[in-house]
Amino acid sequence: MSPLKRLVDYLDVRLGVRELVRQNLTGYLVPRRANFFYTLGAVLLALFSLQVVTGILLLIYYRPDAANAFASVQYIMNEVPYGWLIRYVHVVGSNIIVIALLLHMLSVLFMGSYKKPRELTWLTGFILFNLSLALCLTGYLLPWSQLSFWATTVATDAAGAVPVVGEMAVQFLRGGAMVGEATLGRFFALHVMGLPLLLGAVIGLHLFLMRRVGISRPPFGPEYEPPAPLLSFRHEEHPDGIPFFPHYVAKDLAAIFFFLAALAWVVFYAPALFIPPAALEPADPFVTPPHIKPEWYFLWAYQTLKIFPSKVIGLAVQGAFMTLLAVLPFLDIGPERRPAHRPLFVTCYFLGILLMVAISIWGHYS
Amino acid sequence: MVNDSLPPNQRRFFLTIILGGLSTALAVVAGWPLFRFLSPDTGGADVEIVEIPRASVDVGGAHFLTYRGRPVVVLQKSAGEFAAFSAVCTHLGCIVKWVSDPGEFLCPCHAGRFSTDGAVLGGPPPKPLEPIPVVLAGDLLRIG
Ligand code: HEM
Ligand code: FES
Repeated sequence: MSPLKRLVDYLDVRLGVRELVRQNLTGYLVPRRANFFYTLGAVLLALFSLQVVTGILLLIYYRPDAANAFASVQYIMNEVPYGWLIRYVHVVGSNIIVIALLLHMLSVLFMGSYKKPRELTWLTGFILFNLSLALCLTGYLLPWSQLSFWATTVATDAAGAVPVVGEMAVQFLRGGAMVGEATLGRFFALHVMGLPLLLGAVIGLHLFLMRRVGISRPPFGPEYEPPAPLLSFRHEEHPDGIPFFPHYVAKDLAAIFFFLAALAWVVFYAPALFIPPAALEPADPFVTPPHIKPEWYFLWAYQTLKIFPSKVIGLAVQGAFMTLLAVLPFLDIGPERRPAHRPLFVTCYFLGILLMVAISIWGHYS
Repeated sequence: MVNDSLPPNQRRFFLTIILGGLSTALAVVAGWPLFRFLSPDTGGADVEIVEIPRASVDVGGAHFLTYRGRPVVVLQKSAGEFAAFSAVCTHLGCIVKWVSDPGEFLCPCHAGRFSTDGAVLGGPPPKPLEPIPVVLAGDLLRIG
């Protein structure tokens, strides 16, 4: 008997691993027509794991105080062997994650996968989206460059538009009247501990919900029919599907390597893409550099604040938009998921994307 | 199909070899930078010689400093007579103290004792302290 088989036998007697493998890998059937967009969740898991690994590595040399932070990042870039590689992978990885998050969310929207019974999966996903953006925002401050400092000043300042409690909210975010040592302290704690722990827990919940409800059948093709109204809990099965392992895992891996290749391409051929010149100067609280812009995924929010005559209205519009997204599954309750049968939704969907892109470009050039 | 002429276990073996090879190559490509990133800082280990002012060591006194990333102690036994040793106890690696009254080294961990020549006077240390070259050059002590 081979040693591997003996080990599996040992574990099987005690933990029933063969049954686990059958239920979750070889005998777990996923929809035959599952497309590229169904791999994005796995891509996100892989990218987040990479962030955790590179983040822990950066922590070895990074120093979270205003006097040393910038120099420690320069040290990582210039002195530590392959420090530049670890840092670039972390920086570029965060941007690729936002792209993958947007694609994941947009595909779920387009295919109506957020509809009953997956409202809670959507809701946890929406929380994950916000947590990820919060991770990006807090991480942006840590290098303590001019860019970090002033982008954070502008971002935290936006909270000041909230009526009554605005001023207090800004001070709470910053830990003081202005961005400074106290801000770095709290952002550092959030970025390396608070938010990742929370994110990990919510990812667990998201995966549990996805697995418990069952993955949705893509709403395409002649054989797709809207399911009968759901009256009691039923796990969605795909008896005609393909096994998760090895067929679907191979698809997932292909998509993961595609994203990793994109990441490597940026790291090696366009490293300056996400590191503009203002990121190369240490923070100076007395000199605001010209043309400070937030990262590309916050441009829409930045620009909406400028379009409206008062910041309160701008902030209210943003809040309304995000709330609408969060509760969409509870408003859009029709069972129809096929895009061709949802002309109103699909029109709003594409107009919405266009609007967001247009506002972001406007924000970039304004 | 043509490749149906191969039995499945041969095809599977071929695939396993290819995938194993690719994974190994990827692991090396990712592992080498990781290994270098984590490699210990040489901490000045490449510095061959350290110079300190002669006045920093009193007659009959000891001066501790870092040489090649490790603690070293310099003694002035009598005016103009210098000696230097690694300050790491040869028992379990604690740092020895200079006790000026009897004029010997005492290890605080298990009471190992060493003479001004580094020889073991008592306690558990198995070997004398490792000597380090030291010469007087004008007003400077050159260690190493
Ligand atoms: C930390 C980020 C996230 C991770 C790691 C993640 C992971 C996953 C995974 C592995 C799946 C199953 C495979 C798939 O359909 O891709 C999934 C499904 C799903 N996700 Fe996410 N997700 C994340 C963020 C989001 C966001 C931002 C949303 C939307 C607001 C969302 C909504 C959904 C929905 C509704 C499903 C069910 C899709 C279906 O059954 O067809 N997720 N997620
Ligand atoms: S370590 Fe010095 S006596 Fe044990």
